[in-house]
Amino acid sequence: MIKKIENLNYYELLEVSPRATKQEIHKAYERIRRVYEPNSIALYSLFTPEESAAMHRRIEEAYRTLVYEDNRKRYDASLRARNRLEGEPEVSPPPPNIMPDAVQPAYSQSSESHYIKNAEPDSQVATEHRQDKTSPVDSLVAEFTGPAIKILREQRGLTIRNIADITKVGSRYLEYIEAECFNKLPPRPYLRGFLAIYAKALGCNPERMTNDFMKRYDATQQQKLK
Amino acid sequence: MIDSTLQDALRKKEIWAIGGGKGGIGKSLLTGNIGIYLARLKKRVLLVDADLGGANLHTTLGIGVPDVTLSDFLNRRVDSIQDVIIKTSIPNLSLISGAQDFLDAANPNFAQKTRLLRHLETLDADYVLLDLGAGTSFNILDFFLFSDHGILVVLPEPTAIENAYRFIKSAFYRRFKRVVTNQGIKDLIDAAMDQKNSMGIRTPYDLIEHVKHVEQEVGEILELEIMKFKPKLIVNQVRTKNDIQIGFAMKSACQKYFGINLEYLGYVEYDDCVWQSIRSKRPLTVEYPYSRPSRCIERIVHNLLKKEQLSLSVLY
Repeated sequence: MIKKIENLNYYELLEVSPRATKQEIHKAYERIRRVYEPNSIALYSLFTPEESAAMHRRIEEAYRTLVYEDNRKRYDASLRARNRLEGEPEVSPPPPNIMPDAVQPAYSQSSESHYIKNAEPDSQVATEHRQDKTSPVDSLVAEFTGPAIKILREQRGLTIRNIADITKVGSRYLEYIEAECFNKLPPRPYLRGFLAIYAKALGCNPERMTNDFMKRYDATQQQKLK
Repeated sequence: MIDSTLQDALRKKEIWAIGGGKGGIGKSLLTGNIGIYLARLKKRVLLVDADLGGANLHTTLGIGVPDVTLSDFLNRRVDSIQDVIIKTSIPNLSLISGAQDFLDAANPNFAQKTRLLRHLETLDADYVLLDLGAGTSFNILDFFLFSDHGILVVLPEPTAIENAYRFIKSAFYRRFKRVVTNQGIKDLIDAAMDQKNSMGIRTPYDLIEHVKHVEQEVGEILELEIMKFKPKLIVNQVRTKNDIQIGFAMKSACQKYFGINLEYLGYVEYDDCVWQSIRSKRPLTVEYPYSRPSRCIERIVHNLLKKEQLSLSVLY
């Protein structure tokens, strides 16, 4: 049975098996994203600019859904529910998370309860999967400190190496950012750029992450001057 | 190394067609050299220059203008297709050269074409390789659809890729038309060929949905046809890793846009030795057997015989 592009599920869209590990999903995403980038010469004669923009959005959405453990569980549940309705064979559940569960980042009190509610896997999920389409976690982070960024990264099952590959920022600098080794970090303008691109790779709001981190950076620099 | 799967594949007769829509992308060169490589594997290979308007397969093999050509057969100057087969200097490799002299020969009529296809089936060889001309005329499409394996050649250039998609689309619409009998549906397919048709049919999915409204069963037959249609792809003149990637991108796009399973057979690296071999009118795999393009062709033939395709791991 062939399917229209709009009806492909996220696994089909990224061309991975429903059992794919996070690493495989990440790799597939990198590849597919490049295939469907707006200026791709393999595609321009098939897709209109609007279609490739829509495709691009869906690929991003698919990646953000599948790469977060919670979202993926919810999405899989919704897929199973849909398949049962249509009488198609079930999508097999993904393997248990191989990455160790991250420690809770420095969330504010009020949002913590929200976070836990979101994490409950099977309640009311089939009907309303993915309520928050943009960035599900970063609004819950009180402040983007180095350790908080590290936890965000680990929650997505990404290694420093992965981030370095995506952002082309040296892995040493990424480590310094996470460890808040302020005196080893590059000059301000470079650092801002690194933070912004790192934030994008994590799917966080680049402006917030950069501003938060730069505030901490500036504070230590001023202390040094005194 | 010849292993057992390769041996199995070598046993029965197959017809391969090599096309691609655009001209000058290396169809004849690849046909000739794939043929030479198969002949070296001790298979009896017959190359047929089906590029009736612009035949030059003989040149890529280093043969001068032949005495007998397809046009002698098409115009019944000879009785059997056997009489226009020329032996080449390479053992096991023979050639039917394309039509040269006749203005009409470039456009054989329906009877001539069916006679040619019927005779091609009777030929005694392990492999019959058809070198198709440029364009998407019905004659070219029919040769392509007639073969066991249709192979498309593209260059990593927008023009060639555009033509390749056009070729794929024309080929399967032609195939659709052959399986349906209902005139109304035939007209629908014709209308769908026009990209700016008024019914909003842009992809094969749209067409199948439209057909299903007319006749559910026929729509399902077409769906089956689309799944059986598996053209193969070779990317020629590859210079960078990104060029190799284009094959995978086209495969993905064909799957998602057309629902067609395009098989990526392999790529051929760009090298000046190809140009030099054509200038000296000597076959590439004979003149430069250890060059990178020759190696690439060797890999393509292995993939074809083993019914395998390029895996993504070449990119990492």
